[in-house]
Amino acid sequence: MRTCTIGAYPKIPAKTGPSVRTAIQRFERGSIGPKQLFETYQAVVADTVNLAYDANLDATTDGQIRWYDLFDPLCRDIDNLQPGGLLRWFDNNFYYRHPLVTGRLQFQGGTLAQWTREAVERSLVPITVALPGPFTILALAEDRSYHQPSALLSDIVEVLALEVGSLRGTGLFEVQWDEPALAAQVSQAQADDVRSAYQDLLGAHSDMRQSVALYWGSSIPWVPVFADLPVARLSVDAVTNPEVLTVLQRELVACEIGLGLVDARDIRLEDAAHLAQIVTDYADRYGDTRVWLHPSSGLELLPPDRAADKVRLLKAVKALAEGETAHHG
Amino acid sequence: MAKMLQTTSVGSFPKPPQLVAARAKFRRGEISAQALRDAERAATREVIQLQEALGIDILVHGEMERGDMVAYFAENWEGFSQSLPVRSYGNRYYNKPIVEGAVSLGAAAGLTVKAWQEASAMTDKPVKGMLTGPYTICDWSFNTYYPDRRSLVLALAELVHEEAKALEDAGAHYIQIDEPAISTRPEELDLAIEAMGIVTRGLTARTISHICYGEFDRIYPALLDLPVQQLDLEAANGHYALVDLLARYPWPQDKELALGVVDVHSHRVETVDEVKAGIRKALAVVPPERLYIDPDCGLKTRTWEEAQEKLQVIVTATQAVREEEGLT
Repeated sequence: MRTCTIGAYPKIPAKTGPSVRTAIQRFERGSIGPKQLFETYQAVVADTVNLAYDANLDATTDGQIRWYDLFDPLCRDIDNLQPGGLLRWFDNNFYYRHPLVTGRLQFQGGTLAQWTREAVERSLVPITVALPGPFTILALAEDRSYHQPSALLSDIVEVLALEVGSLRGTGLFEVQWDEPALAAQVSQAQADDVRSAYQDLLGAHSDMRQSVALYWGSSIPWVPVFADLPVARLSVDAVTNPEVLTVLQRELVACEIGLGLVDARDIRLEDAAHLAQIVTDYADRYGDTRVWLHPSSGLELLPPDRAADKVRLLKAVKALAEGETAHHG
Repeated sequence: MAKMLQTTSVGSFPKPPQLVAARAKFRRGEISAQALRDAERAATREVIQLQEALGIDILVHGEMERGDMVAYFAENWEGFSQSLPVRSYGNRYYNKPIVEGAVSLGAAAGLTVKAWQEASAMTDKPVKGMLTGPYTICDWSFNTYYPDRRSLVLALAELVHEEAKALEDAGAHYIQIDEPAISTRPEELDLAIEAMGIVTRGLTARTISHICYGEFDRIYPALLDLPVQQLDLEAANGHYALVDLLARYPWPQDKELALGVVDVHSHRVETVDEVKAGIRKALAVVPPERLYIDPDCGLKTRTWEEAQEKLQVIVTATQAVREEEGLT
């Protein structure tokens, strides 16, 4: 089995250490300059990927430490996609700037590729870049220009494909498309729409590893859709939607599967032996390297001490599961 | 005849620099609890004086004694501990409460009364009593004790009810119970309504619930069943799309609307014309005697100057609409 994180991570330390929160406060008060703020971001990214290394993860994000929210790098890289007013981020006490589509989308690029390059340089663990998928963008963006969802979706897919292309050569491990809007049923998309859009998106750079993460709702309707597509890994939130585990046991999917069994929104720590037993069952069915264990979503919704505990839990589960697998072998 | 288009505020105000400094000193153990309270009282006086100077009709005390609207209650009631900070947006963090035992008022019964009494004594205008609703306290806490969310929400509702009664007994004519999390899970709206029924049970004060930053179209018009007399909703942040939603249904005879007309998460101060346009749009849905005008949410995220300027725009725009529509 393999382990990874799949999203944002707290930007503040559990005890002492560099803190984005403190640095921004000091920057706004004028007591530090742009260079010190920049160096703090770098240091916090380094701490995040170092934790992943210590936890023996097989892949990690950079914690999205520089990101205001999931849409932030896209709003920087795409013309006519601008951060709008604050809205609640699904059912969390977290708020994002909903993107405003103010004209025809044009890809300019630069920011995400640079951030990714920096993360890759600092990390001994392969770096995943998690971005909002086209249907989450379509569902949450405010369209002031196209007034025709199909035309907007088509351009979203094109600019996202250009974003993926801009990441070529950065050394990243994979691009992960986050589609909470599909799982949480905020999107009105039909299976055929999703299949068609993802064929175009994945096909534009078919040589680059791309995965999909569904969280905060039911993945079950989408499992057969993504199972037919060339995604490297399909990640599901088995905390919100434990029934999906039965579906994945019953219906073997061709791609790797990511089991979001570690609750990214609850401070209580899961029992490592229990999780190891579950992932071992899936490893027996899917093959050892095709099963991933990860939190149910990004860990930034937890306080930093509990988020770190959850990352370390992945290490404990992996050790137990590998022992179990060796024993079976 | 009652004044039309009364102006008010949602709750929090920015903490003046002297209070920010006093809170930091208190955390470092450099000043006593009494000295901190004195600083809070002085800051409350500034908040009251500002609102009076601007001509706001129904005042708030500004929540100078509170850091966060949920954590404040969790810090004082029993059954809670605190997590390390969790980000809520931008560079804003809060210490998310952890429910670790049965919740109770403990020694903190009437927690909010003293601050309300002190603020009320500073003005002849009405001051709202400010509470956080049980659904939101539950939703913004980690629950490690109660078997399910319903049990926790209903237990909290009894505590918030006791606090509301204490405010009413102290003389509060307006009691606001904030429920910003209420749109989070449409499937739990009935639970939130049931809990609010417990909170407002038997109250004679005018009851208000402030709700913001949610997807109202997922809970409207069912939200109208919330047992309060006034809904206080943010509109400016969403470019008044909320009013379009409200317009799809008749506005009920027994409900008032407080309309948020300035974005509290933007440094930009709205123009008088923008706010007037927003008020006029709402007037097409809600009659002026039942329409109140205020900011989208608490002003604590703004600087003191920004808060003052935004409130000034509200007062100016509202007065202009009153005059232009013959509502004075």
